[in-house]
Amino acid sequence: MTASKPLLDVRGLSIRVAGAARPLVDDVSFSLDAGETLCIVGESGCGKSLTALALMGLLEGTPLRIDGGTAEFQETDLLSAPQATLRALRGDRIAMIFQEPMTSLNPALKIGDQIAEAVCEHRDVSREAGRARALEMLKRVRIPAAESRLDEYPYQLSGGMRQRVMIAMALANDPALLIADEPTTALDVTIQAQILDLMRNLGRETGAAQIMITHDLGVVAEMADKVAVMYAGRIVEAGTVTQIFDDPQHPYTLGLMSSMPSLAGRSERLVTIPGTVPSPLDMPVGCRFAPRCPFADAACEAPPQLVDLEAGHRVACWHAPIEQAEPTPAWRETA
Amino acid sequence: MNAPILQARGLMRHFITNKPLFGAPSIVQAVNGVDFEIIEGETFAIVGESGCGKSTLARLLSHLIEASEGSVIYDGREISGLTGAELRDLRREMQFIFQDPFSSLNPRMTVGALIGEPLRIHKIGTPAERRAKVAELLRKVGLRPEHADRYPHEFSGGQRQRIGIARALATGPRIVIGDEPVSALDVSIQAQVVNILEDLKDEFGLTLIIIAHDLAVIRHVADRVAVMYLGEIVELGEAAEVFAAPAHPYTEALLSAIPIPATGARKVQTKIEGDPPNPISPPSGCRFHTRCTYVQDICRTERPQLRDMDQGRRVACHFADNMSLEGIRTDNQARPPAVARRFARYSAARASMTANTESAKLEKEE
Repeated sequence: MTASKPLLDVRGLSIRVAGAARPLVDDVSFSLDAGETLCIVGESGCGKSLTALALMGLLEGTPLRIDGGTAEFQETDLLSAPQATLRALRGDRIAMIFQEPMTSLNPALKIGDQIAEAVCEHRDVSREAGRARALEMLKRVRIPAAESRLDEYPYQLSGGMRQRVMIAMALANDPALLIADEPTTALDVTIQAQILDLMRNLGRETGAAQIMITHDLGVVAEMADKVAVMYAGRIVEAGTVTQIFDDPQHPYTLGLMSSMPSLAGRSERLVTIPGTVPSPLDMPVGCRFAPRCPFADAACEAPPQLVDLEAGHRVACWHAPIEQAEPTPAWRETA
Repeated sequence: MNAPILQARGLMRHFITNKPLFGAPSIVQAVNGVDFEIIEGETFAIVGESGCGKSTLARLLSHLIEASEGSVIYDGREISGLTGAELRDLRREMQFIFQDPFSSLNPRMTVGALIGEPLRIHKIGTPAERRAKVAELLRKVGLRPEHADRYPHEFSGGQRQRIGIARALATGPRIVIGDEPVSALDVSIQAQVVNILEDLKDEFGLTLIIIAHDLAVIRHVADRVAVMYLGEIVELGEAAEVFAAPAHPYTEALLSAIPIPATGARKVQTKIEGDPPNPISPPSGCRFHTRCTYVQDICRTERPQLRDMDQGRRVACHFADNMSLEGIRTDNQARPPAVARRFARYSAARASMTANTESAKLEKEE
């Protein structure tokens, strides 16, 4: 959105399983400036995690292939760069935090050694300096008694503490971009609040841009500067956090928000989205949300483009804005 | 108000986690002396974080596990002494919906056999009547009678949870206990299942006991709510009251931690630090005192009793009378007219998608 070059510029990213008729992630584009937080929100199977893995170059060795697109990050195209280049970037300029902190830490290595390893891999420093950095990072993520934790193993820590260690490790080399895939989903709500607090503060302190992948609109509202809503492999709506929450346009976004029970009061029945997400093997040709959309008509048999409705607010729906669209008989309000 | 259908009296359950050859075994006090009653026809929610004992409590209530001490009284009878036919009757009248629809359905059984199994075990109806009942149950949970011949793996998570609900309803229970019945589901599917649960509750006059950690879901479905912390109930009352004006510091902290899906809502202000203590060696006095921002000396030594406040509220805190705690902020600004119209149009259009077109679409997807 600014005149200067964005930190990360993803254009037309598509991911496909060899032999599948249609891509799993289809023509995904977004950009991110330094220090910004982008939340990618969507339900299971919408392609949000695949997008993150593709950016990290972690689809190697899976049946998934990048089918097109570019992702420019500090003069490097992440999608076409050789693994050696990516290996140098990963854990250094770009770091990632995963959902399940138990399975992403090495159970056989002490906490301090794991963080020091990440530092020594990318910096020409001694083991002592690496360990000093590990201690500094543990203090920064506010782990109590950090000194003694250095020599503990992951199993000795609670889930929240493990996620703090993951964050410490990810930020140890001052990355420019942090990708977090459902970082708080496995945690209790009071621990989640602590981790979100921490991530927001560290983002501000270090100036690292963040891509946070989540299914929780509450987390999005707390964390995001910008939001991309994904459905069945496509971005259906994108904008600033204010645009998405105060002026949602796509029927899927409307449905998602209507489906959520309100904390403020016991509302009447929840307004749901009918049916289920289409199978990746059998994606609709046109708008992928059309089979579940109450506004779908003949126009939706062609795939809608993600177009600017206003500055920075992009929507992929033939009928947006819905309150102005001419109701077709199929979905005219019932008297 | 109706009579209590289920009562817990001084209910305790301890588990031995480690029994060394010499020395004292480690004991987890999963449920440590809880008292409450559940009124016929209400939705009663038990909420708390991992390890607070809410699932153990649910299993105690339905006699899936034995209590260490205390009793559960169902319809005037103590359930711990029940055996044989009486226990079978209890099982028929009290059913369970489990959290994970992927592991709670036998993959080798067809959906029809799964839903019909409770009927067969309780010897209800002839085989033909059972088949008819299975078809009816499938329709009630939004599936189709033909689905009876398929296997669980052919269904999505939300559809499997519907099958779990149909199975729970097969014997015509009076009480249905749901242990995190929607927490494994995506938001849009979760809403469908919540609606089905509420419809069926009304239709069959069920008493629902819902265990959950998602406070928004609780707020939506529950009449009354009990908040648990480390094996004890710290607060109990009308859900609306508890959410608007909590009386226990832990409830306040829990509510303050929920991320609110709206802009302009406050950014997280964590009122609670650190992890819950280990239940093997819970803190002395009030179990919450190690994390409580209002802690006083008395809290470290004396265990507060769950005592009655106004309007049926019960709170276990020494200072409940003279604290004013913050509940959920209902700072929902009204939507701009154009956006309000858009949402109204969505719900109107959604409502006019009749059941027929819905099932036609489902059919097309399969």
